[in-house]
Amino acid sequence: MLKNISVCYIIYITYIKGGMDLLKLQNLSKTYSKGEVKAVDNVSLDIKPGEIFGFLGPNGAGKTTTIKMIVGLLKPDDGKVYINGIDAWENPLEAKKQLSFVPDTPEIYDKLKGIEYLNFIADMYEVPREIRRERMEKYLEIFNLKHAIGDIIGSYSHGMKQKLVLISALIHEPNLFILDEPMVGLDPKSSFQLKEIMRKRCHEGKTVFFSTHVLEVAEKLCDRIAIINKGKIIALGTMEELRSHAEERESLEKIFLELTENE
Amino acid sequence: MNKILSLIKTDLNTSFGLSALQYKLTNKRDRFQIILFGIVILSVLPSYMMIVKGLSNLYEAYNSMGQESMFLLNGFLFSQMIVFIFGILYVMSKYYFSNDLNVLVPLPLKPREIIGGKFVSLMVNEYLTSLPIILPFIIIFGFTGEEGLLYWLYALILILFLPVIPLALASIVVMLFMKYTNIKGRKDLVRIIGYFVLIIGLLFFQLKFQSIAQNALMEGEDFFLKLARDSNLLVKRLGLSFPPSMWGALSLSSYTSITGLLNLILFVGLSIVVFLVNIFLSERVFFDGLIGNLEVSTFRGSSRIKASDYSKSYPAFIALGLKEIKMLLRTPVYLLNSVVGVVIVPILLILSTSMDGGQSIEGLNMLMKAYPHLISLIGAGLITFMGVMNCVGCTTFSREGRSLWIQRALPIRARDQILGRVLSSLFVQLIGILALLGAIAYLGFLSLENLVWITVLGILGSLAMAELGMIVDIFRPLLNWDNPQKAMKQNLNVLIAMGIGSLYIVGVGFLAYKLLGKIDILIIYGIIGFIFIFTSILLYIPLRKLIERQFQILEY
Repeated sequence: MLKNISVCYIIYITYIKGGMDLLKLQNLSKTYSKGEVKAVDNVSLDIKPGEIFGFLGPNGAGKTTTIKMIVGLLKPDDGKVYINGIDAWENPLEAKKQLSFVPDTPEIYDKLKGIEYLNFIADMYEVPREIRRERMEKYLEIFNLKHAIGDIIGSYSHGMKQKLVLISALIHEPNLFILDEPMVGLDPKSSFQLKEIMRKRCHEGKTVFFSTHVLEVAEKLCDRIAIINKGKIIALGTMEELRSHAEERESLEKIFLELTENE
Repeated sequence: MNKILSLIKTDLNTSFGLSALQYKLTNKRDRFQIILFGIVILSVLPSYMMIVKGLSNLYEAYNSMGQESMFLLNGFLFSQMIVFIFGILYVMSKYYFSNDLNVLVPLPLKPREIIGGKFVSLMVNEYLTSLPIILPFIIIFGFTGEEGLLYWLYALILILFLPVIPLALASIVVMLFMKYTNIKGRKDLVRIIGYFVLIIGLLFFQLKFQSIAQNALMEGEDFFLKLARDSNLLVKRLGLSFPPSMWGALSLSSYTSITGLLNLILFVGLSIVVFLVNIFLSERVFFDGLIGNLEVSTFRGSSRIKASDYSKSYPAFIALGLKEIKMLLRTPVYLLNSVVGVVIVPILLILSTSMDGGQSIEGLNMLMKAYPHLISLIGAGLITFMGVMNCVGCTTFSREGRSLWIQRALPIRARDQILGRVLSSLFVQLIGILALLGAIAYLGFLSLENLVWITVLGILGSLAMAELGMIVDIFRPLLNWDNPQKAMKQNLNVLIAMGIGSLYIVGVGFLAYKLLGKIDILIIYGIIGFIFIFTSILLYIPLRKLIERQFQILEY
């Protein structure tokens, strides 16, 4: 009870009192092929603690490029990324401690056992022994991966690898959870569990930022949505706000199609 | 036929990254890297020129005996042996562990088409190995002996066909080996041990045969008379250990006569026959060895997981080092190139010195009496050189491949990256030190002094070499690979690090040589140790900066 009250208080402080954004993108730009192709063009976003933020866009719109610039995998040509107030490219170690990242393809160490991979990631985030054990067991149970954790990752299916990456990303309970197309390859039960975890994190005052093609997921789950097309944010707001701006107001799918086709 | 041509074209493109290179040449930053890479290659040239100069002296020595053809035999034997030994590794990873198999096997292709395409691509790759070895022999022989046009024509044909026999033999050996070691369960282990035994066995056979031939040759009083009468005598006797090399040498040394032509026909003819046998065999056994590899191993369940496994915790650099060591030990290609590589050198030492009826041991004994500290100095130098030869440091980032994103997205300090990765290189080096000390003990030269100084100086030297390798590797990591072999043995970073490393070791060795006898040996050990420590510190600073910079700008 006391814990819940304190969590609500944190959310109150940060939200109502207009506290610090957990993720802030400031005029972020990235070009490819000698500046001919603008993959991300002057993108700015402010995402508050406790928010589930959906990042939508057609293929090649700049979603993954933006995400890679946030997590430190792709250096922006221009602009700034702040995570919990920390400049992610000036002070990368401190920024990375705040977040965890789940990529769209789980390219991980095939020759390690699942448990060895989880311990490796936990060591890098300096998660204490007692806590890591409890968290590993909890998430392995949720994603039904306990039976395979002693096996070499090379023997896992795509979905199992995806689950392992998800678990490893949750081990240090990051303030900012960033996922690139997280539902791809997951079975329906795991997909459901992941959505539950996202909601729970948001209730705890932590932030989830994810890109997706599955519009229904975004519609049901997200507090706010941004639609990116040809590197530019073309719509940003809650579902209600997006509806009010679009001519077709029925579903996110229709809004999405209308906006991206008009561009 | 079109299918094979298309396979070859695609394979060559992906193996040598031709399209990627084209892209790089248009990209300013990458173009700079290529130019720099050219400069580094040029810096390796002095060492190469020294070897070539040594070869000229060897030619003179044979010339004075009237046995110049023996010079050519050395070239052919050495290059074909290297092609064979590298070939076994290349073939194994190219045929059985490459990622393109998932694409090729489901296509309507016959095994002989897949193998044919891969074989040609490997041939091109093997020219990169064989040409730098055989060319100096052929050029020195041709120019010094002022040979005619036909000589150069024969030479061209021989060079083109040179890798065929050893590579086709390697291909046959590997295909049979993979078929019969396709045992469920401990497949990787069986194969690594099998490979190790195979290489040792072949070396043993080769050296034994040579020593028998040599001894038989020296017997009898009329040896020198025969030598004077037949200028190809040595080649005909010693070349029997691998007849194709002998035919190559004889066809060039007697190119003006029919003997030369006949030997050339034998060389080319056997190349074609062995190649065809290889293709024929591939149709029967290739898939048998392969299918097991593509199988996903069944779950053994997590019954082996203990409760304590969930809470194993280490400092970041140790966790990183352990991860590296596990990956090295569990990836056959990495294990063969690193650990087996450092163990084979001492075994070779034993084989080559103990198989000639004690002559080498006697010689060594005399040398040791004159220079008692030589073993420590050479041993430490050898271990230091193995520090780059083991390929661990100079491929450490390349081996991450597409998984490098994990390292870049995690909050790992550059200091921990260096310490952890050096740790894994030192692990391999310790195995090398143990093997070398074992070999020295076997030969009866081990003393406390040797043990201490080889270990201490070896470790310090290895530290510097691991850092040197890491600098080269983080500067231009090879991350886009589909076959772990590419990350290690086909990685040019290894060559660059070896070039720079050998120059460094020759420099330190030269200094020690100049000081030997002038000052106390303990001071010399101290100076070498100081140089190694100083180099490690000197390399650490730019390495840390480079890791921080490259981790920001790499795109994997």
